[in-house]
Order: sequence, then structure tokens, then C-alpha cells
Amino acid sequence: MAKIIIKDIGKRYANGFEALKGVSAEIAAGSFTVILGPSGAGKSTLLRTINGLETPTAGTIQIGEQTVTQDNLREVRSQVGMVFQHFNLVDRLSVMTNVLTGRLSHRSWLGSLLYLFRRTDLDLAHDALIRVGLTDKAWNRADKLSGGQQQRVGIARALAQQPRVILADEPVASLDPVASEEIMGLLREICTRDGITVVVNLHQVELAKRFADRIIGLNDGRVVYDGPASGLDHATLSRIYSRNGDQVDEQLETMLAYA
Amino acid sequence: MSNSKLCWPTPNGRPGLVPTVVLLGCILLLAISAPAVELDLGRIVTAIPRMLAFAGNMLVLPDWEYLPILAKNILQTIEMTFLATSIALVISLPLGVLAAKNTSPHPAVFHATRNLLSLMRALPELVWALVFVSAVGLGPLPGIMALSFVTVGFMGKFFAESIEVVDQRQVEGVVAQGASWLQLRTFAHFPQAFPDFVGTVMYVLDHNLRAAAILGLVGAGGIGYDLVMAMRMFDYNRLLPIALSIYIVVTLLDRASDHFRMRMI
Amino acid sequence: MAEHMITRPPLPKKPFNPTSVWLSGWLALIWFIIVDLDLSFETLLYGVQDIFEYFSRYSRPNFEDLSRYVELLGQTLATALWGSGLAIVVAVLLAPFAARNLSPNAATYRISRELLNFMRAMPDLLLALIFVAALGLGPLPGALALGVHTAGFLGKFFAESLERVDAGIYEAVTATGASRVQLVMYAGWPSIQREALGYMLYIFDRNVRMAAVLGLVGAGGIGLALHDTLRMFNYDQSAALIVVILVTILTIDYLSTWLRGKLN
Repeated sequence: MAKIIIKDIGKRYANGFEALKGVSAEIAAGSFTVILGPSGAGKSTLLRTINGLETPTAGTIQIGEQTVTQDNLREVRSQVGMVFQHFNLVDRLSVMTNVLTGRLSHRSWLGSLLYLFRRTDLDLAHDALIRVGLTDKAWNRADKLSGGQQQRVGIARALAQQPRVILADEPVASLDPVASEEIMGLLREICTRDGITVVVNLHQVELAKRFADRIIGLNDGRVVYDGPASGLDHATLSRIYSRNGDQVDEQLETMLAYA
Repeated sequence: MSNSKLCWPTPNGRPGLVPTVVLLGCILLLAISAPAVELDLGRIVTAIPRMLAFAGNMLVLPDWEYLPILAKNILQTIEMTFLATSIALVISLPLGVLAAKNTSPHPAVFHATRNLLSLMRALPELVWALVFVSAVGLGPLPGIMALSFVTVGFMGKFFAESIEVVDQRQVEGVVAQGASWLQLRTFAHFPQAFPDFVGTVMYVLDHNLRAAAILGLVGAGGIGYDLVMAMRMFDYNRLLPIALSIYIVVTLLDRASDHFRMRMI
Repeated sequence: MAEHMITRPPLPKKPFNPTSVWLSGWLALIWFIIVDLDLSFETLLYGVQDIFEYFSRYSRPNFEDLSRYVELLGQTLATALWGSGLAIVVAVLLAPFAARNLSPNAATYRISRELLNFMRAMPDLLLALIFVAALGLGPLPGALALGVHTAGFLGKFFAESLERVDAGIYEAVTATGASRVQLVMYAGWPSIQREALGYMLYIFDRNVRMAAVLGLVGAGGIGLALHDTLRMFNYDQSAALIVVILVTILTIDYLSTWLRGKLN
């Protein structure tokens, strides 16, 4: 249970490209927030500054009481779970071991060198697998699972960390509609039951409307909308998905198709 | 937290069967062979000051008069490498075709060629160099012969493997045009296998340069002879230049081949 | 007549094909080398003639000393085994530092890479000579020389494989708060398992060949015996030794190819 304060985050790359231009937001503890926006808007970059996978060139991130700096990254990350679009599981390892990598920050380096874990770690991993409904696949190799199942393992891995925050970067972009429903439902349920702050990047507006408490609309590195899902009317969506700043009043579906 | 039991991520908490068996097997093998290799840590430890002294001895001013000879012999080593690899390349191409399951004219030819190539690369270059020196005398010629011989064994095999993984559909396309036996191999198989061929040649050049540097040991040309002589006679003022020039040449080729390989990809 | 001629739109100018340049350059270089090395075709022909006569001298292998040969062979194999073992340990320790996406900083990366390159560049025979000078004769200096030299190869192979692992997998494990060591153990090595085993088998295969040869500089094993018999023109025994070496290398080669086939 932790609130996230994003203050004036800027990200400029060496080649001059500015992915984020002064983004600020306050994400309430235990809330379910979705970040919407066209590709290249900076959604991924923003999400990744929260757990330090990207270092902002300006501004600060605060998770709970802690400000994210270069020195406390491991500590921050142990409290922040992340779910990826391409699942990013270690193919050759079993599902259980993949989930257990979520416990690595609590293990000594010597023990983890020998692939040793404590009973408590295994129990936590087991609980996580029960939550995502994959206990029967615990000892299978991770790459032998379907896309939806692999993403559930990814979520189990995040859960095993006992995190205060879960970040999901386009978690359903590689999944079919049924699996997408499953995954979004799972994330929502985790948020509600465990009180974990969940921030999800999506490009499917419909999913965002149905699952989010709150939506942050990003376009060209700036926040253009920050409010409840009910506020996503035609005008707002146009603002979020407009290209190159022009206020083109095209058919919304077309704009969303090119988002 | 720290009084909880330790276990492995397996159903029964114990390490898996395969990794345990493999690990124990390796440890057992090493233990059995330790006396055969005369393993003696004490011997190694006492030798360290001697090695450091040796390294220190090498740091003397080079024998300036020797340097032109060094250059000539290094050049000879490089030339041997290049020539031997070129000769082997020419011979390996047809042999590779014969040794590839999809381009060989007959299964008997395929097996015969494969076994021949296997035999050719079985013995290290130095052994063949010894043999050829006895046959044709000292100098770079036996070295080149030995290098070419063994290289054909390797390149022939690599080429054959590259040909075997060629895309069948492209081959079928050319077959449908009514190509002859040779035309098919030239226009369907060779172009596809070509990038792999180039990679193989680069790797072989790299390997052959290192091998060529040693052949002088048995009088088969190159810098090897100078090296061994300098060691035997404790010519420290030649050792460092020799070792350094071998290092530089090998590294240059290594970088060049890395660079080349990146450009090909 | 002109009215019946079809005017075609001209083709774009054919791009310059450098193949002929490369080819002539290559042939010129070869010719130059042949001249520079003073290679005589006559010598080669005489030599080839002589070779048949020469090879016939090896046609009666004398196996009476077989038990001693097998013992020496055991020594050679032991040398190869320990050399490979040493190489594996060193390579496993160095490779993560020599992988750009796993190394803690650019300096460590550069230094590790250079160290591995250095170990590779020194011919193992040279290393064997040095170790023999330091440790005396016998198989131990041979094993050390093989270990150091092949550690360079293995380390580079491992490092390059580690670098090719999907960046996303490294990110995912990093994102859980894992340390660098844990990242290497859980995302690095498991991902390249199969390739790594293939490389290790290849190195062992290679070391068996080299171990047979290192005897020629006094680093023990069967090479030393061969060197002695050849020097004394004892063709029958040399033939026997060569057969023993050949059979061993072919067996190891066959086994390692079979194992590598099973891995795929």
C-alpha cells in the first residue's frame, strides 16, 4: 500500500529526443490507474522511471516515503513488481523458479548462487501460483506455457515480491481477447483484495474504461488528461490521441486505430 | 525469516537428479585423473616466484638487430596462414558439396567423404608438420602442407553443414527451371551457404594463424622456431618482442574478423 | 528497318561488382606469397613422391609397448580434462564481466575482454613452454597451459552468448530487486545453458588434440613418446603411437558430436 508521487518528470535522451516533458501526477495508494496514449507518447518511459529502469533527467519519483535515487534502486525494486508485454520469463527455468526470482532481493547472494531458497520463499511462491491459478504447472518449463499462462506466471512473480506497487507495461498487448480479460481481471482483483497500487499502460481504451479507477492520458510526453474513467469523452480522447498536436476532428475510431 | 529451512526449487526440495549426477561425475573424473596429471598445488605455488622472475627477465631492451629477422619470420607466418587457407578453401568447396547430404551425388560418396574429412582433421597440425618435414625437408612448405591438410578437414565439414541447412524451397525453385547438377549447386545451394562460408573462413584464418605460429617448433616455418630457440637459449631480449608480435598479429586478425563478421550480419 | 526496331527504356547503370577485383587481388597475393616463400613446385612434387614412400614406412605399426602407450594416453586425457576444468572455472568467473550488458562498468568490461583476448592470443605451446620452464617437465604444465589458453576462448564464447540473451529477460529479473550476481545466475546462465554445454564439449575435444601435441615440448603425455620415436626414426613404434592417438581423438570427437546432437 503505497502512493506514488510523480513530480515534474522529464526524460531527454542523448540524441536530443525528449520522451517526457514535465509529467506530474499523484497516484493514490491502493488505486488502479491506467495510462493511455498513442505509441511514442512516453507511457513506457514514464512507467519505467517509477522503478528506475529509466533514469529521469529531471524531476523526482516518490514511492510511499521513499524517493527513488540511483543508490536505493534495489530496495525500491524489491517493493515494486513489474509485468511485461513479452512476459520476460526465463525460458529454461521452471515456472516455480521463475516465480521465485521475485524473492531474490530477500536472499543472500551465497544462497542464491546455489539456487537455495527458504521454505518461506517457496510458500510465498506457492501462494502466488494459487492466486493466479497455475499450481498444476509449477514444475513445467516456462516456455512450454501459452501466452496467457506465461503472463500469469509474470504476475505471480510480481506477487511473490509482496510488493506495495505493481507496474504493468502493456501486459495484454501480446494476448488474445479472452486472455486479456483474464489478466486485467486478475490485476484488478489483486489491487482490490491486497490493496496494492497498480499502474497499467494500455492502448485499448475499452479495457481502460472498464478496469481503471483513474486514467492518465499521455501525449507527446505530457499529461493531457488526469481523471476518472467516466471523463473519457470524445473530446478528451481526441486530445489524448491527436497526432503532432493538431486538433483534428476525425472519426474517433480512425484515430484510435492509428494510436 | 532466517530460521526457516533451506531447500531447492524442486518438488521434493532436493536438487534435481541430472545436475547432481553430472556434477558428481565430473568431480569423480577429476579426482581419478589428478594423479595422472601430477597435480601438486605445492609445486605450483613454489613456481610462482620463478614465473614472476621469468616475466621480469623478459622486460629487457629488445635485441635490435634481431628485429628485422623477427619481422620477416612473422610475415612468413602470416603468408603461410593465408596461402594454406586459400589452398584449403579451393579444395574444401567441392569436398563440402560431396559431403553434404543434400548435394552429394550418392550416399556412398557422402559417407566416404565425411569419413575422409574426419580423418584429415583428427590429428593436430603439428603432427602432420612433423611428418611432412621428414618428407620434404625443413622450411615453410611442410608447414603449409600440414595446415592445408587439416584445414580441409575442418572447412570441408563446416561447408557441408552450411549446405545442409539451406532452404529447400529456394532449391526447388531452381530445379523447376531445369538446372543441371552443377548449375543447381552453383545457383541454389552456394549463394545461400555463402554467408556461412565467409564466417567459417574468418574463423579458420584466425585458428590457422595461431597454428602457424607454432609450426616452427618442428622446423615447418614461421615464428615458432625462433620462439622455441629463444626460450631454450634464454634469449630474453628476443622473447618479449616475439611474444608481443605474435600477440599483436593475432589480436589484429581477431579484431578484423570480428569487424568483418559484424558487417556481414 | 529502323521502324521495326523496338526501343527499350534503358536499364539503370549496372552497379560496380567488386568480385573480379577481389578475385584478382587474391590470386596476385597468392602468387606473391609463393614467390616470397620461395616455394618450389618441384620440391613439392618430389616431396609428394617421397611421401608415398615415406608413408609406407609407417605401414607396420608395432604395438608391443601398447600398455605404456595406454598409460601415456591416460596422462594425455587427464591433462585435457584438468585443462578444460581450469578453463571452465576461469571462464565462468570472467565471462559475466566481459558481457557488455552484465558488466558493472565500462572499465571492468574492457579489462575483462582484454584479459580473455590475451589468454587466447598466446599460443598454448608458448604457454606450455613457459610453464615447463617454471614447473619442470610433466603433464601439469601442459594442463595449466591448456587451461589458461582455452579459458580465453571459452570466456569469449560465454560472454558473447550472455550478451545475446533478450534484454527483456535481464530487465525482468533486475526489476525484482535482484543483485548483479543473482541476475547472472538466474537470467544469464540458465538462458545460455545449451550453448554453454556445446562450447564446453568443443573445448574439451580441442584440448584432447592439443594435449597429445604438448608432449612435444616436454609437457608429458603421448606426444613426448611420439617425439622420441620420430627423432630416433623408429617408424614402427611411431606408427603405433599415431594409431593410438588417432583412435582416441576420433572416439572423443564422435562422443562429443553425439552429446552435442543430444543437446539440440
